[in-house]
Amino acid sequence: MVVSGALRSLDPALTRTAIVLQSGDWGVVASNFDFLLVGTAVTILLTVSSLVLGFLAGFPAGAIEVYGTGRLRGLVAGAGVVLRGTPIVVLMMLFYLGLPIPQLGTVPGLEIRVSPFIAATLALGLRSAAYQGQVFRGAIQSIDDGQMEAARAIGLPRRGAVRHVIFPQAVRRALPGFQNEFTIVLKDTSVAIAIGLAELLTRAEYLFVQPERSTAMFELILAVSAIYFVLTFATNRTLDRLQTRYAIPEGDG
Amino acid sequence: MTLLELEDIEKAYENEEVLHGVSLGMEQGDVEVLVGPSGAGKSTLLRCVNRLTEIDAGTIRLAGESIHDLDSNDLRQRVGMVFQDFNLFAHRTARGNVTLGLEEVLGMDHDEAVERAEAHLDQVGLAEQADSYPAELSGGQQQRVGIARALAMDPELMLFDEPTSSLDPELIGDVLAVMNDLAAEGMTMLCVTHEMGFARSAADTLTMLDGGRIVERGPPERLFENPQHERTESFLGQFTDFE
Ligand SMILES: Nc1ncnc2c1ncn2[C@@H]1O[C@H](COP(=O)(O)OP(=O)(O)OP(=O)(O)O)[C@@H](O)[C@H]1O
Ligand SMILES: [Mg+2]
Repeated sequence: MVVSGALRSLDPALTRTAIVLQSGDWGVVASNFDFLLVGTAVTILLTVSSLVLGFLAGFPAGAIEVYGTGRLRGLVAGAGVVLRGTPIVVLMMLFYLGLPIPQLGTVPGLEIRVSPFIAATLALGLRSAAYQGQVFRGAIQSIDDGQMEAARAIGLPRRGAVRHVIFPQAVRRALPGFQNEFTIVLKDTSVAIAIGLAELLTRAEYLFVQPERSTAMFELILAVSAIYFVLTFATNRTLDRLQTRYAIPEGDG
Repeated sequence: MTLLELEDIEKAYENEEVLHGVSLGMEQGDVEVLVGPSGAGKSTLLRCVNRLTEIDAGTIRLAGESIHDLDSNDLRQRVGMVFQDFNLFAHRTARGNVTLGLEEVLGMDHDEAVERAEAHLDQVGLAEQADSYPAELSGGQQQRVGIARALAMDPELMLFDEPTSSLDPELIGDVLAVMNDLAAEGMTMLCVTHEMGFARSAADTLTMLDGGRIVERGPPERLFENPQHERTESFLGQFTDFE
């Protein structure tokens, strides 16, 4: 079983000694910073792969919930309910243990095993698709009906109208919701510690479970939160800028 | 040549009957103004012609062919529509609003579409506004882009559904001027509008619709001067009082 020992190691006695900030413990953070940076790279990679999967599956899912009919629509809506209703840690374990993902070895440089990375991407990506689908569905439904009518009235088929008129506007309206989702996925990559994927938090844990570094536990966790904060802050700023850049001009008002 | 023929059109929504056996014919180049109280079925009638709404019974023919034998997208390319609320594509410039149909429906290449779009924007007096987004334009300008967008598809018939009803009074004139030009150039136009000045000056036929039936139909002068029905007289009377 690969489930990590993170929770077991947090016994109260150890925790009490660990939260005393000592300069030597910051030295542990400093000397292992490169080690944590590799974990940061894994976190970023997992975030990106999950969000891409979430977008590729979520956008059509949202569209199907609005425009689809019958069984397909029921299937998509049902899958969404299940994915949104299951804790992410449970999803991750289900995918890791339940899917026949072959053991594919490790990625050199990042020092991660491919199989848990795939399982984590599937869990985070599909759950994100379920949420992104809801964001897109709402965005599509918020577009005035007149837009579709005008598109149909010049002879665009429904599919063309959705693609050229509805989607470009819906994507813009979905950006704030997408931004929210981005932050959630980034933070939830840390749950991959449960399937032993060497992302940022897992690497920090690897450091502080060693007895000689256990006093640096609190410092390591602080450093990890700072890194997560920098990542979410930077991406939120970037997405803010993207929104401004692609905003539809509103006139001089 | 008879361009548009409606024969015994019936249309009901859920339980509510909206059109009861409406029949009319328009020759090529005719300008027809359709008036009537709110809920009379004017918008529904227009929308049946380009099949944004499907009729329950009756026949609609365009240039002799039943519109139900045509592909609805081909039909809509041949029948332009202008909406009360403009419905410009909010994410595209004035030019982009016109080029979309040219590129995606008519399959024109981009440069050709741009050239044609700019010619049509020029025709409605908006050459300067080609790069503006709808939200940057006045209502009157938006509506003229809407007209250019429809005209660019080279339609045989234009439908106008209260094109000036959402406009501030001082902006109505520009839109009516464009419609007058079109009428003078021989475009076949079916217009729902309560601009009686336009009806008098541009329309060949004025049709009074009430409760889903044609009450009276004829040359505008005759309906204004010598209405045959009390309903027409009282309805048109409320407009002539203000002129
Ligand atoms: N999509 C719809 N579903 C149900 N009922 C509708 C629908 N569209 C129109 N109606 C009803 O049909 C009747 C005729 O509507 P229509 O819009 O054609 O009238 P109109 O003459 O254009 O009125 P107005 O001057 O207010 O625009 C109205 O009673 C309206 O409530
Ligand atoms: Mg109407």
